[in-house]
Amino acid sequence: MKVLVTVKEVTAVDDEFEIDGLGIDDRYVTADLNEWDEYAVEEAVQLSESLDDVEVVTVTIGPSDAEETIRQALAKGADRAIRVWDDALDDDAMLDPATKARLLAAVAEQEDPDLILTGVQSADDSLGATGVTLADQLGTEWAAVVNALDLDAQAGVAHVHRELEGGVEELTDVELPAVLTIQTGINDPRYASLRGIRQAQSKELAEKTLADIGLDATALDSPIEQTALYEPESEGGATLYEGTPEETAGELAGLLAERGVGQ
Amino acid sequence: MDFDLTDEQRQVRDEVRRFAENEIKPDATEYDTEEKYPREIVEQAAEIGLTGANIPVEYGGVGYDTLTNAIIAEELFAADPGIGLCIQSTAFGADALVGFGTEEQKEAFLEPVATGDAIMGAAISEPDVGSDVSSVSTRAEKDGDEWVINGNKMWITNGSIGDYFVVLCKTDPEAEGRYNGFSQIVVEADRDGFEADKITGKLGIRASDTAELILDDVRVPEENLVGTRGAGFLQLMQFFDETRTGVAAQAVGIAKGAAERALDYAEDREQFSKPISEFQAIQHKLSEMHTQVEAARMLTYKSAWSVDNEDDQLTMLASMAKEFASRVAVEVADEAVQIHGGAGYVNDFDVERFYRDAKITQIYEGTSEIQKNIIARELLGKGMT
Repeated sequence: MKVLVTVKEVTAVDDEFEIDGLGIDDRYVTADLNEWDEYAVEEAVQLSESLDDVEVVTVTIGPSDAEETIRQALAKGADRAIRVWDDALDDDAMLDPATKARLLAAVAEQEDPDLILTGVQSADDSLGATGVTLADQLGTEWAAVVNALDLDAQAGVAHVHRELEGGVEELTDVELPAVLTIQTGINDPRYASLRGIRQAQSKELAEKTLADIGLDATALDSPIEQTALYEPESEGGATLYEGTPEETAGELAGLLAERGVGQ
Repeated sequence: MDFDLTDEQRQVRDEVRRFAENEIKPDATEYDTEEKYPREIVEQAAEIGLTGANIPVEYGGVGYDTLTNAIIAEELFAADPGIGLCIQSTAFGADALVGFGTEEQKEAFLEPVATGDAIMGAAISEPDVGSDVSSVSTRAEKDGDEWVINGNKMWITNGSIGDYFVVLCKTDPEAEGRYNGFSQIVVEADRDGFEADKITGKLGIRASDTAELILDDVRVPEENLVGTRGAGFLQLMQFFDETRTGVAAQAVGIAKGAAERALDYAEDREQFSKPISEFQAIQHKLSEMHTQVEAARMLTYKSAWSVDNEDDQLTMLASMAKEFASRVAVEVADEAVQIHGGAGYVNDFDVERFYRDAKITQIYEGTSEIQKNIIARELLGKGMT
């Protein structure tokens, strides 16, 4: 069985920052493994530990700088990694979900996984659409915002819990092959062990161009273009209640009722 | 010459930092005030291999070199020196077994430490024996196929929680020459006649367990002798350069932790309607602190690199690194409290603890005065006397 996990290197921005053109000035950003993907990697590694013959492959769209982040996933137990990058891709340009899904789908077609795990969203762009778009392009089943997974590998069915709004959970079965977008909290992601870090250095990390995955630059054509980046104006509007919990809770309840939130 | 860490070393540093930030920092004050051994954190650290970082791969460890271990020490101590020491000290004394132990000893004593199933220690100092190691008086006498050990060992890290200790004993008092006649013997804590008294009220590193060991007719099998009978002192000396480099790395970590916290606080704290980091008096302090940290780190890295690559120059470098880095730790922690002002004088902020913790690095594993003696001895071309 093969599990493909999409892994993104995301940008974390300091509390105070400056905008530089369409991005944040490099001085105020650090790169890290996307938090949701960390849970997706952990879920895949746990599958490989509980079932026989499971290969965990990660796929990332990103420049060579992303390799340190990819090695984090390898150190936590993924077996090998694929990194897609091409001269036609610009470091700073935003890739919309459909474009990303096109690239990831091309890799998925080559790898032919039984299960694809993605994060629900990325911590920087937060569009939350790549996973389901990928399933749509591959024509497989999917489940979004999965917070519990029980895989019946024999039957080829994933029993999942999906987190819906208002604290409601949907219990549903998804037939493989499928894409599941993984929610934080589904598991307790491990730290990479020193031994894992050592082993990760010699694991395969394959670099693929668009041509390598059977695409050309037209795959990057997108109707969506980023035109500006700006900081929304913030307005101060916080009300601070002071006093005992009994007093402040009453005041808060009053406000919520007045605004039509609590009935 | 290359001053860059390898990708692997960077990855180790970043992951240890993540671990330390999430698992060590949040509870550090509690373990300090209660003088409580952080068993759960040490177990977690063992799971990711931190307790066996320097134990060879064939005995369940990771087998990292001295430089990578220095990087690990720095990150752990920058989060909290007391808990950092608990994690790194689980393998105290292991170097003697790696260097001189038999295959059976390595399997029996190294593997459980690497996997987190056992904690060990090294027992050298005595109530009347500190810097003058060659006057150790704990006596081990052969009786049939057993060693019978009598004496007291003082300031023993992990003393009341450890499973076994490499104890420096006098086995051959009639041997000629003041460095001869000592032996290293493994003593298990569950032997009859073994008693440990926890020492409380330490100035710093209060999460770490320290005890006095009382050995009263303790019998251990003769195969617990490590290496050669009578050569214990010389065996011990072999690793001082390495262990001193390790303490230098701890000191760099303490200095770094204090300097980073001071920088954060200075940017946050406002006086006269602006952050105190806008004042040149504070800026100069921060500049000096961070420069000192970097200088101490470079000296420590060079010493660590020398352990692994160039041990001809090592003895002097290790003492220089240990003496300098520990002084930097004390000075930087002092300035960090100064920048915090009144807030740094209570334990609401970590720098209060770092100020207390820093001092030990000038004392254990050879005082600063002993390090200067060694540097001078090397400079003047004098041998050990």
